[in-house]
Amino acid sequence: MTKEEANGATEEEQQAQSKKALKKQQKEAEKAAKKAEKQAKLAAEQQSAEEDDFAKDRYGVSAMVQSQQKLDRALVRVEDLTPQKVDQLIWLRARVHTSRAKGKQCFLVLRQQQFNVQALVAVGDRASKQMVKFAANITKESIVDVEAMVRKVEQKIESCSQQDVELHIERIFVISQAEPRLPLQLEDAVRPDGDGEEEGRATVNQDTRLDNRVIDLRTTTSQAIFRLQSGVCQLFRDTLTKKGFVEIQTPKIISAASEGGANVFTVSYFKSSAYLAQSPQLYKQMCICADFDKVFCVGPVFRAEDSNTHRHLTEFVGLDIEMAFNYHYHEVIDSITDTMVQIFKGLRDNFQTEIQTVNKQFPSEPFKFLEPTLRLEYTEALAMLRDAGVEMGDEDDLSTPNEKLLGRLVKEKYDTDFYVLDKYPLSVRPFYTMPDPNNPKYSNSYDMFMRGEEILSGAQRVHDPQLLTERALHHQIDLEKIKSYIDSFRYGAPPHGGGGIGLERVCMLYLGLHNVRQTSMFPRDPKRLTP
Amino acid sequence: FKATKNLDALLGKDLGALRDIVINANPAQPPLTLLVLHSLLCQHYRVLSTVHVHSSVSSVPPQLLSCLGPKHADSYARHMFQLGFTLIWKDVPKLEMKFSIRNMCPIEGEANVARFLFKLLAPYPSDAAVATLVDTWVDIAFYQLADGSAKERAAVLQALGSALGHAPWLCGPEFSLADIACYCCLSQNGSTSATAANVQRWIKSCENLGHFGPAKLLLK
Repeated sequence: MTKEEANGATEEEQQAQSKKALKKQQKEAEKAAKKAEKQAKLAAEQQSAEEDDFAKDRYGVSAMVQSQQKLDRALVRVEDLTPQKVDQLIWLRARVHTSRAKGKQCFLVLRQQQFNVQALVAVGDRASKQMVKFAANITKESIVDVEAMVRKVEQKIESCSQQDVELHIERIFVISQAEPRLPLQLEDAVRPDGDGEEEGRATVNQDTRLDNRVIDLRTTTSQAIFRLQSGVCQLFRDTLTKKGFVEIQTPKIISAASEGGANVFTVSYFKSSAYLAQSPQLYKQMCICADFDKVFCVGPVFRAEDSNTHRHLTEFVGLDIEMAFNYHYHEVIDSITDTMVQIFKGLRDNFQTEIQTVNKQFPSEPFKFLEPTLRLEYTEALAMLRDAGVEMGDEDDLSTPNEKLLGRLVKEKYDTDFYVLDKYPLSVRPFYTMPDPNNPKYSNSYDMFMRGEEILSGAQRVHDPQLLTERALHHQIDLEKIKSYIDSFRYGAPPHGGGGIGLERVCMLYLGLHNVRQTSMFPRDPKRLTP
Repeated sequence: FKATKNLDALLGKDLGALRDIVINANPAQPPLTLLVLHSLLCQHYRVLSTVHVHSSVSSVPPQLLSCLGPKHADSYARHMFQLGFTLIWKDVPKLEMKFSIRNMCPIEGEANVARFLFKLLAPYPSDAAVATLVDTWVDIAFYQLADGSAKERAAVLQALGSALGHAPWLCGPEFSLADIACYCCLSQNGSTSATAANVQRWIKSCENLGHFGPAKLLLK
């Protein structure tokens, strides 16, 4: 059928076409023949080469690991390759970070997480020429199993984390092959900002990194950041548990927005709609009313603010604390600041390697703090700002630039990157904030700052249902919607306070990074929903 | 003392907030004179005293943490105080004071900070010669008594002896910063025993004033 249809064209045309086609065909056939010849030659060469390759059992692409066998083989970790292991024959699984062939030798840098080591395949009685060639052709980022002899080196290898030893490879098998073209080069991704411009070398921009997050997360910097982040979480838990806190889990799908409906995500919930929680605020308070005394929770928090800034995400991890106190809400401040100080100390003492690694790419001054934490009052902050020439009303909220300026002033005078600002004006805080008994303009609320940026907002809460109703009415909140919340205080509620911290912000500011997306593994913002 | 109670006149206009004096001191060299001046300030003003440890220092002996005495009962309300005295134990080569960061550079050296704090308590003598004499004694105390060699110290002790032959205090009939500085630097070295009768009598008189309690707590 198709041929006949093609015949429908005029004869001349057809002739011309067929002539052209013929020529083309001929050429192609010639090409194919040549190619086949070449391939045959190559195959023959290869075969002959393979035939006299004495080391052909010592390298290759292994069969997919489908758990066929359980080898009794101990794999050494790269970080454990120290001079103590010199002259031992070891097995190792790592990624090929880079490979560089040079005549009869091939240098590989093998990487495992944030550690790397230099390895060498050299033609000799263990490795053949073909094996060296094979090693040189392994694509970057492939995962290999290597058997090698650990050897001491005379000169330190500056480019690797294991500087005192190198590996002399005796066997090398590819466990998982990476595609030859990588969407971004790891070396480009860890290059400090300034360096790239000076040497005319490439750096990778934020969006490319995030689009290829799996590869970006392999960089030493990312590895260090997220190890440190895990440390923050653990120190937070450990410290609070030691203080007698109970960890709670709260629902994230809620029926009413806790602080105004403007910045919540609405989700369809069967026949009605629900919201994604902006904070576990109401639930942790209800736990206090339920006699849990001191609670904390670690979990996702959602903000539907359409702000594309360096420090806002639409979903982040909230570290929330709520506790009952005896007589003064400063008991709560002391508890939270002490927790933060323990975290900072823990990071300073146990995560120095990670901090240094991040500093190599993103240099910043070490994080400084005071113990006990410095506490200033809002009026003092106003006086400092006014002294610096800022015009501000008594009851104005701190704008972001003023917040940063204040951070700098405090750093200059007290040399601390972490401080508490107490006694905020009542008008700038949510309805459940307890007013100051001495001055109704102010409130028993506080913010905490790291490197001049807010990381925690907290307060003593109103635990009296009547005052709470009054405050809610003053803020023009529909009482029906928060009925269950107010009701929980009717049957005896202890005085309490608390606050919530953003995990990503704490990590960002502790390390002196400039974008919260760097400390969020898979960031969500108004413009990013993948990966 | 003829106390100067008008802080506005001394420290400039009131901004409606706590005037906080920040002192960074190395825990290896506790500033005894400043602790003495601190307790004197507490007698004249409502002083909010706080002690912090900076992250550059890993541990500080407990007596240094409590060297400003027990916490004031009102310390939760900073705005109720006239003056803040914030002592930060920090890894600094030289003691420094930060007060009004917009108008003043940080003041270095315990002697200079002591002069500043003393002026909040009492004016310097109006006689230029006596005022200079006070300053000279303060210098001698810190450079030769505290930091000097044994030979220099001996010379200072002799000078003390002769000065105290003429008057009950180092700079005449009135107790001054010279006495505070010399007493503290002398006791820091533990060389209060083998000295002339004059000096011994002066040491007794100093101790009778009862101002040196906080400093003595740190002397071991």
